[in-house]
Amino acid sequence: MRRLAAALAVLAPLVAGAAEIVELDPVEIRLVLRHGPWPQPVLRDPSNRVSGDARAIALGQRLFFDARLSANGAVACASCHVPTRAWTDGRPQAAGLGSLDRNTPTVLDAGLGRWFGWDGASDSLWSFATKPMLHPAEMGGSARHIAGVVRGERVYACLYEAAFRAPPGADDERVLVDAAKALAAYVETVRSGRTPFDEYRDALARGDRAAMARYPLPAQRGLKIFVGKGACSVCHFGPGFTNGEFHDIGLPFALGPGRVDAGRHEGVKRLRSDPLNLLGKHSDDASGAAATRTRHVESTHASFGQFKTPSLRNAALTAPYMHNGRLATLHDVARHYSELDMDRVHADGEALLRPLRLSERQIDDLVAFLESLTDPRAGEPPGTPAAIASCPD
Amino acid sequence: MPARAVAGLVAALAAASGAAEPCAAPAGFAPAGRIESRDTVLLYRTVPPGIEIGKHFAIDAVVCSRAAPSALRVDAQMPAHRHGMSYRARVSPQGDGRYRAEGLLFHMPGKWQFVFDVERPGRTERLTADVVVE
Repeated sequence: MRRLAAALAVLAPLVAGAAEIVELDPVEIRLVLRHGPWPQPVLRDPSNRVSGDARAIALGQRLFFDARLSANGAVACASCHVPTRAWTDGRPQAAGLGSLDRNTPTVLDAGLGRWFGWDGASDSLWSFATKPMLHPAEMGGSARHIAGVVRGERVYACLYEAAFRAPPGADDERVLVDAAKALAAYVETVRSGRTPFDEYRDALARGDRAAMARYPLPAQRGLKIFVGKGACSVCHFGPGFTNGEFHDIGLPFALGPGRVDAGRHEGVKRLRSDPLNLLGKHSDDASGAAATRTRHVESTHASFGQFKTPSLRNAALTAPYMHNGRLATLHDVARHYSELDMDRVHADGEALLRPLRLSERQIDDLVAFLESLTDPRAGEPPGTPAAIASCPD
Repeated sequence: MPARAVAGLVAALAAASGAAEPCAAPAGFAPAGRIESRDTVLLYRTVPPGIEIGKHFAIDAVVCSRAAPSALRVDAQMPAHRHGMSYRARVSPQGDGRYRAEGLLFHMPGKWQFVFDVERPGRTERLTADVVVE
């Protein structure tokens, strides 16, 4: 009898633990379930004829880590998109050859996007990949310089010819764009894996309460706030935790005397004037369907100060936060929404936004949920580029 | 599972005090919604039939009216959020009162409202229909 009592005493916490589930109503369950399944497949980009091509991916990976693409030979894509920092740099604002105004976004899962950059000034990953290479404060390169690196490096030229079925020719812009398409093909493979949230979400889908109970209680409570009181999931929508569009969340857009970051408002202007957009000659999508977004996108005065909704996957690894890196921690982010300054939100902005007035425990819970969106392997360095037999290193 | 439109609720702005225009859907056109006003009947469907958040879709519309419209404009908004789409639909007349609007995209779940502006010389009649997308 005493033995039985002792056994029950040992089991009691486990039984209690198994019962530790924050109950969700049917609406909340539906909202939680639409954040999966994960991972989502990255579809081949029809505007990039080498999307998914192993030879292009191998070239793209090599280019991503090659600082020779920059004007001074010291800045690579990977200098800011540091793999072991979840493909960010940990700085409030990016710094390449010079200083920039915006935070470096992760490239994890970038292949799932519709618009690229905080202001969405690019409509394809490959077009976006040209921008840092050419920006004077980032890598400071030129089409001529980058084409020269691709032509001059034996393995690059070989992989280029294998992927694009022609050697890098004399047209510098063509070689630059193709190099960017190889980079995009590589970045499409930079994916994040499953997280504790995904395990919980899938357990919820199959009604496996024992597995659900393994998801920490604070995260469960934070998730309930996320889909409920916080209405966070309206914009941080779907498996990727982003709706891919642009919102004004009450962050200052003044950069200093006489300087503002107009966000999406300027982004649409830049998109339309970009010869490398999907309406231009470099898109490989003969159907034109990929350019639907570009043909129909609209900018209004409400677009001023709007920035892209970032994915929240692996957010715990990508501090600091917001387009300008203004918020240092996830707690700061939760407090931002808790104490939202409505005077800063655009006059005709998102009526959804209101101060959430969260308690300290609720803020902790929301952060616990956000931390549960972390892939434990997201900070691991990538493997070496795939060997392509016809182009030995 | 992708988000899909789960309900369509047709609302007519004008009271249908008079007899509505007879309006038969053309062969092969299965309307998802019908809006009636004193002067106009508008049938519409989305293409594809299910609206997914973040995916472009089109609207096919048939306008039946005593006074033929000079044009149709199509838009959508989220009244409760005080915003519309981030995209402008382009409407092409297809003949016989038929129109196709392309380039629509809903970027948020919730209650949206289709807005059809039926243009006639000297006046615009606005017809709306609510749709909930989840």
